[in-house]
Amino acid sequence: MTSAAPNARYARRRSVNYVATALSVGAAVFGLTWLALILTVLVVKGVGGLSPAVFTEMTPPPGGAGGLLNPIVGSLILTVLAVAFGTPLGILAGTYMAEYGRYSKLTMVVRFINDILLSAPSIVVGLFVYEIMVAQVGHFSAWAGAVSLAIIVIPVVVRTTEDMLMLVPNTLREASAALGLPRWLVIRHVAYRAARAGITTGVLLAIARITGETAPLLFTALNNQFFSWNLNAPMASLPVVIFQFALSPYEDWQQLAWTGALLITATVLGLSILARMLASKRMPS
Amino acid sequence: MSLAIHTDVKEQAIAAATAEKLEEKVAVRRLDFYYGDYRALADNNFNLYKNTVTAFIGPSGCGKSTLLRILNRIYDLYPNQRAEGEVLIDGENILSPSQDVNLLRAKVGMVFQKPTPFPMTIYENIAFGIRLYEQLSKAELDARVEDSLRRGALWEEVKDKLDASGLSLSGGQQQRLCIARTVAIRPEVILLDEPCSALDPISTAKIEELIDVLKRDYTIAIVTHNMQQAARTSDYTAFMYLGELVEFDNTTQIFTNPRLERTQDYITGRFG
Repeated sequence: MTSAAPNARYARRRSVNYVATALSVGAAVFGLTWLALILTVLVVKGVGGLSPAVFTEMTPPPGGAGGLLNPIVGSLILTVLAVAFGTPLGILAGTYMAEYGRYSKLTMVVRFINDILLSAPSIVVGLFVYEIMVAQVGHFSAWAGAVSLAIIVIPVVVRTTEDMLMLVPNTLREASAALGLPRWLVIRHVAYRAARAGITTGVLLAIARITGETAPLLFTALNNQFFSWNLNAPMASLPVVIFQFALSPYEDWQQLAWTGALLITATVLGLSILARMLASKRMPS
Repeated sequence: MSLAIHTDVKEQAIAAATAEKLEEKVAVRRLDFYYGDYRALADNNFNLYKNTVTAFIGPSGCGKSTLLRILNRIYDLYPNQRAEGEVLIDGENILSPSQDVNLLRAKVGMVFQKPTPFPMTIYENIAFGIRLYEQLSKAELDARVEDSLRRGALWEEVKDKLDASGLSLSGGQQQRLCIARTVAIRPEVILLDEPCSALDPISTAKIEELIDVLKRDYTIAIVTHNMQQAARTSDYTAFMYLGELVEFDNTTQIFTNPRLERTQDYITGRFG
């Protein structure tokens, strides 16, 4: 270590380190700036429109007073239905892939297709459901909207269920099988229990994902100026109302669009925080 | 080389056991095992005797754990693993396809290298397995759980926190919980796969004492890398090398005067 060479190399390594650190910090700041700007504008423009009327009154005609009650309720109904259809299917498929069919070719095929579905543009899903449901019966409906959202939920839930079950150590499965438990009881009582927090997180993230989806609803549930419980009729939803109102020339409609956007963002934020909390509580294995 | 030696090993061991009038619980005959095309065990023959402890020793990768995993057919969980030959428990071949593996596993319990408490309370960890086979009243179940935990030498430490998670226990306690859980469903044979390798010396001592008590009621097979442990806990010792059981005898004999040089070398630490 008497020669100068190692020190020169060390100095070079340090400067490379500085440059790399500066670049990555710069990239992070660049990305976060836009996010902060978006959130600030959203809060500034959206908060002004928040009032009890937003939650109690229907969407108004241009120039009239009103709120977002029908799209809020519509979004809730569509989300609940989509999760009710999508979650059981997704969990069952994920269970097959991680437990029963872990080594089968079918699983590899399903995993590949599921990954494609996971990143498929949602407008494609909307068009697909339009073709098989809306075009068949001749009118838009909440059912069709729920189905298109469910198709977006399924791949997310399949993926997280499979991943979370794969994280359950095999030793735990062996230990339960060694007590004489049949496969389905091992899955129900041990694997699900160990993966519960992770699977719940996946469902929450899927809900967060569909909360803001607009494209699939435009082709399926469309929109409704009025409050409606009828699942065979078009139904209002927050993203579609935001889309319609934001593009309109009327100032009061634009204000409602900002407020709606703020509500959706707050919901997604809340769900993400909940998902994070659950994930950090995940059972150590 | 092997055929002559094997017949020899088997005869010698059976002769030793017959001299002590031991009852044969498990009889392994011409047992081969394959991971895919790879033959991990070749032509193994030995007996496990009722109310004795048999230790399996040998260098890493020689097939000790593989052998143990055949006796409750836990290898069945994985495709591409298969056993050939015969494993007779009370005279019935458990390798036959008609054998119900869940009933077999209730009869042949297993404790693994790493403690594997289930993600549930201490009480549930024990009660869970019992409920699978028996319909018991709350009081009966409580009594069974207590009895099992006592047999696992854990009762005194957990009696006030049965509702705590099984994962909250220390490693040694978790392992004793796993033993108690295995004992709870009243097996006849207990397989211990390096049960102390993840434990500190005090927990190890507790489990060794436990093994000594448990053999009054069960037939025990233990895989261990610890020569002293094999010498301390077992009545019979099987030395395995490259997938073959090369020497089987009573433990004192193996540790004081093994017949084969290879066994001698391994026990004295010259290889492995």
